[in-house]
Amino acid sequence: MYRSLLVLVLALLWSTAWAAPRVYQLHVDGLACPFCAYGIEKSLSKQAGVKAVETDIRAGLVRVVMDEDAGLSEAQARAAVEAAGFSLRSFNETFNETTQGE
Amino acid sequence: MPDRYRNLRASISGWGLCWVLLLSGSPVLSAPMTFNTALPVAQGEFVTRIQGIRLDAGEDPGTADRDLTVDTLVTVVGYGVTPKLALFGALPYQHKTLRLDSGGERIRRSQEGFGDLSLFGRYTLFQRDWPGRTLRLAPFVGVEAPTGEDDAGDALGRLPPSVQLGSGAWDLFGGLVLTHQTLSDQFDSQLSVRFNNEANGFEAGDEVRWDLSWQHRLWPRELGGGVPGFLYGVLESNLAYQGKNEVHGVEDADSGGTSLFLAPGLQYVTKRWMAETAIQLPVMQDLNGTALESDYIVRAGIRINF
Repeated sequence: MYRSLLVLVLALLWSTAWAAPRVYQLHVDGLACPFCAYGIEKSLSKQAGVKAVETDIRAGLVRVVMDEDAGLSEAQARAAVEAAGFSLRSFNETFNETTQGE
Repeated sequence: MPDRYRNLRASISGWGLCWVLLLSGSPVLSAPMTFNTALPVAQGEFVTRIQGIRLDAGEDPGTADRDLTVDTLVTVVGYGVTPKLALFGALPYQHKTLRLDSGGERIRRSQEGFGDLSLFGRYTLFQRDWPGRTLRLAPFVGVEAPTGEDDAGDALGRLPPSVQLGSGAWDLFGGLVLTHQTLSDQFDSQLSVRFNNEANGFEAGDEVRWDLSWQHRLWPRELGGGVPGFLYGVLESNLAYQGKNEVHGVEDADSGGTSLFLAPGLQYVTKRWMAETAIQLPVMQDLNGTALESDYIVRAGIRINF
């Protein structure tokens, strides 16, 4: 009984994690004004599977939320940031804690 | 010298003021209001700027008591060909009015319509980015096409060059702009030259300019999260030298010279748009002969990210 419950809970957790959209954090260098942030957001939004892009200009951080089952490679992110005229410092995938509010 | 010819020469010398307006059609980014910037236009994207400009020049050292007013609406469109190469086009719509004493009476001569189209490219030669900071150097080169009417006339005859909407010539310009931007401040410096060519027997003097701009974020004082709108206080300076004009190959002694303007202003910048205004005030005008001096130039406009 307990084993069945445990399997069920693990399966639920696994399916939730699997279905949750992926979120990426990009540290962008050179970003220093609101007008420029728009170019980066638009360039990233053109990538396939991108659901939302949010920028924190003070931190130089761009957060990219993907559609379910979609992913973003570092090469794609770098190309998009550079197309907007800026430099990608770092690229990280974050997990569920950033998707709670989605 | 006959009155009519003297007044023609006198009104010609006001031409030098007009290029100040035309050359300023370049910046479309978060940038100075009176000249260019080295900040990027994203690849495949358009940005635009519409700026209204009022120039009043009524300080006449001569006897004709000239007063030149130029109202200009400049539309600038920029396109990012690559992350480093951007192309720009600027088209002014102008209303020019010259008032002067001639033959014992006050006369008024005016013209309205589209002026000369400027097309230029800018390439980012050097770029260094840090967190919240960037340093860029970008040369630019362009041409001003003679799209504006250059042989308009009125009941008194052909209008002088200062009132014509176009120069009638293909003029070349280019320069180098340096930009250092942080989250709190932006500095721009531009060195530029302009080579004017002859048309209809008139050739405006070539020009050299050195422009500086400092923008300081006034609000918000402290940055929070997201991308808030920035209110910048702006202070710009424009140092310009123009050679003497030539009329049928003869130098006009009452043209050209050196001027320095200071321009305080405000800019409100968001992600999609910005609004701005500034007033350019002459602090030094060392002009030749009786060349017409400026009183002020007022600018107000918007820029939009598409």
